[in-house]
Amino acid sequence: MLARAHAFTIDGLRTRHVNVEVDVRPGLPAFAIVGLADTAVREARERIHAAIRNSGYEFPNRRITANLAPGGFPKAGPGLDLALACAVLAASGQIPAVGLEDTALFGELGLDGSITASQGTLAVAGATRRAALDKLILAGTRVHEAQLIPGLHVAVAESLTSAVRVLSGGEPDPTPSRASRLRARGCERPSLLDLSEVSGQHNAVRALVISAAGGHNCLFSGPPGTGKTMLAQRMPSILPPLSRNEALEVAQLHSAAGEPIEALSSVRPFRAPHHSITAAGLIGGAQRGWVGEAALAHRGVLFLDELSEFARPTLEALRQPLEDGRVSIVRARHSAVYPTRFMLLAATNPCPCGHAGDGDRCSCSEAELARHRRRLSGPLLDRLDLLVDLHRETTSEGRLGSLESSEQARRRALDARERQRSRLRAHGIGLNAEMDAGALREHVRLDGRGEAMVSAARRRGLLSARGESRLLRVARTIADLDGVDRVRTRDIGAALALRPYATDTERSVA
Amino acid sequence: MSSSGTVHEALGACAGCRRRSWLLSALSVLLDFRAQDRARLDELLSLDDRDLLRSLGGRRQSELSARYEALSTEQIAEAPGVEAVCRHHSLYPRALRDDPASPWMLHVAGGRRRLALLAGAPVVAITGSRRASDYGVEMAHTLARGLAASGVTVICELADGIASAALAGALEAGGPALALPGNGLGVRWPTTKRPLYASLLRSGCALSELPHDCRGRRWGAVAGERIVARLAGLVVVVEAEEKPEEMALARAAGARGKTVAAMPGRLTSPLSSGTHALLVDGARLVRGAQDVLDLLYPLAPARRSSRGAVAEPGIPGLEPMLARILALVGTGRDTPDRLIEPGEDPAKALLALSELELMGLLGRGAGGRYVPRHPAWALEGAAGTHAAPDTLTAATQGI
Ligand SMILES: Nc1ncnc2c1ncn2[C@@H]1O[C@H](COP(=O)(O)OP(=O)(O)OP(=O)(O)O)[C@@H](O)[C@H]1O
Ligand SMILES: [Mg+2]
Repeated sequence: MLARAHAFTIDGLRTRHVNVEVDVRPGLPAFAIVGLADTAVREARERIHAAIRNSGYEFPNRRITANLAPGGFPKAGPGLDLALACAVLAASGQIPAVGLEDTALFGELGLDGSITASQGTLAVAGATRRAALDKLILAGTRVHEAQLIPGLHVAVAESLTSAVRVLSGGEPDPTPSRASRLRARGCERPSLLDLSEVSGQHNAVRALVISAAGGHNCLFSGPPGTGKTMLAQRMPSILPPLSRNEALEVAQLHSAAGEPIEALSSVRPFRAPHHSITAAGLIGGAQRGWVGEAALAHRGVLFLDELSEFARPTLEALRQPLEDGRVSIVRARHSAVYPTRFMLLAATNPCPCGHAGDGDRCSCSEAELARHRRRLSGPLLDRLDLLVDLHRETTSEGRLGSLESSEQARRRALDARERQRSRLRAHGIGLNAEMDAGALREHVRLDGRGEAMVSAARRRGLLSARGESRLLRVARTIADLDGVDRVRTRDIGAALALRPYATDTERSVA
Repeated sequence: MSSSGTVHEALGACAGCRRRSWLLSALSVLLDFRAQDRARLDELLSLDDRDLLRSLGGRRQSELSARYEALSTEQIAEAPGVEAVCRHHSLYPRALRDDPASPWMLHVAGGRRRLALLAGAPVVAITGSRRASDYGVEMAHTLARGLAASGVTVICELADGIASAALAGALEAGGPALALPGNGLGVRWPTTKRPLYASLLRSGCALSELPHDCRGRRWGAVAGERIVARLAGLVVVVEAEEKPEEMALARAAGARGKTVAAMPGRLTSPLSSGTHALLVDGARLVRGAQDVLDLLYPLAPARRSSRGAVAEPGIPGLEPMLARILALVGTGRDTPDRLIEPGEDPAKALLALSELELMGLLGRGAGGRYVPRHPAWALEGAAGTHAAPDTLTAATQGI
């Protein structure tokens, strides 16, 4: 006899519908799973066997063939257990097959028949809705992730018996209360750090706000303990909240990576991978659940602390994601495309000993300085719009206090973003950092003095062609923060002071 | 002395001197052990071939002697682009000629004719720490540029820090420059030095006592120092710590009766401790190219006192806001946070900093601090190869 059930598998970021077909016929007892199943799926045979018997059902002592259709792509993970078990029960006539027709099943079985939530619940819920199935049965621990998808009927089943009961029209298990879920995972909503805790370093704080307002990539350089990491960590507090659609997109990415999703958060992601990360860790892999940090930072901030310590290939790998806003990975049997529209923040010491520019404390040789510079330069420095130097402050500067609170800064950044959005709508973009040559020509018109400054900078070798476009984008944002329509000379001047530059020493020996 | 005694003008060096050059490369490793003691190394280098072999050869003496005797001069070739000049040649620099401790033969990239020309002009050595501050780099660069522009030949070792900055400055003025790397001229340069070396060969010469593929390790630099001390008529120490290796050139030149000059730095900076010690010991204080030229071509005292080597504070025609910011940076308020008063509109100061940078009056030093640049350099640069002055003033007016 033949039975069918609906399930889903996650392949990179795509969630694919899987038709689980089970056929039971007379013959020597055997249980085969075909259709490009990975190890976790093949191991399911043992789990399903035990779970069915321990739930009080009969495991058919006949020849069982399970086919995962369509067969063209690999299926991975234990999330198919529940669908397989139910199809076996229906094919052996122990439960009616009708209930399986319009219901998706998602969960891993324990030997005692209990159901465990699998990672990627949110993504599966979204796919269930798109596949026009009525109902999704899953374990209680992740049910709220599925409930984020509007218009989907979600039923909780904590065990195989409960799942069978729901399939034959019975009552689902109760949804666990939010409080008990939180306790179960020890998870809390992070409270955002505030900009008002930063004392002094006003130039860097202003740069941070410019960067937040225009979406510009930014590098902080300075001696240890001057607040580089501190500033970067406060970036999410001045970024505008995620829209509902963006939040759902972000949550799905994080869900696919196996992170528990409590609720849709409007706070932009902030990812700060350690500098020992590999290129694959940063951009992700083609296989299921292997989402890189770049994709996890999508719509938020990717912060590379101690930039000069990252391996060169790792930084090289960031070029495509930075340029295209997405990264595609193709391997022998898998391929995946991840969205990567993040803002890049980075921090570094100005030299290997960390004290360059701090009186005569720096003890680095010229060769060491050159090596440090070489590690930073090249692919990445070329894509940074702002370079801010932080300095150890003398006591008189230390008492300057904070420049502004996150609340004030966010409001200014939001206003500036609003101006950009309405101006750039026709170009299909929303941020100054995304302006191409055409948009720049149209929206950054300089007066004579501004033009003279830009061309003087070019003649002096202070700006490359690429550097010039970045300068204009940053100047546009500075004007937007002041609520001004025209880019003024002073905006160009301020942008020039924040441009990535080469020091005199580097130029004189080059 | 050379056994043949005849110099083939086209070949540049006689057989005896070329054999000497071969011997130095054969003994290079052994010489390196003696490099710590400069006086001893000087002594060794002034021995003749057989005595040198006897003093250094040790256990390998008989083997080396045999190879030395069997050597045919055809086996000693110069690298492409490198010429030899030995002390019997008419183009060998006069300053080195009558001194037993001078090298017997020099390998010259850039041509021996040019070497003779450059060594015939007044020669000033610029030296200092290999680990220089922004201030030191700036001073060395400006000084060398000024001297080169006045037709003085700048000579320095080809080393990091002050020496490289000076060389770059002299070459920027299209200048006459001589440089002494511590290796043979065929040894590969570190990548960072390659562009500097390439531009050196356009208007100056690189000299080495070592055969082209010979690594000098430590002794090569010391041997180079002794050539600099002999070729230069005057030595300027720009910034040096009070360590034997950073002071050696000045001491050697002083011992030979050459004028030693030094530039002052901050008393609190350990990087200037050596120059200050020299000044206390009676070195001449120089503030820039003009002071050095005054030492080379002494003028009547009355006239000298009226000439400042450092420009008067303030640059004629500079807009008041820019002048104010430039002066503040000079006093050490060299970051935006130090320049912008709380509550003040930050854009004004930032714009001024950028304008000054575009005019070449400010540069960026270590840690991104703004560093004042020498006005003469800045304005010449603006008027010459870079911007036309009228566009610059247009950009600076009415901030
Ligand atoms: N400007 C500042 N205002 C207030 N606190 C500061 C400031 N700068 C540093 N601190 C304090 O010093 C600590 C260290 O700062 P932070 O980690 O940001 O330094 P850093 O610049 O990243 O140094 P490193 O180069 O060592 O990574 C902070 O946690 C904070 O307590
Ligand atoms: Mg840090």
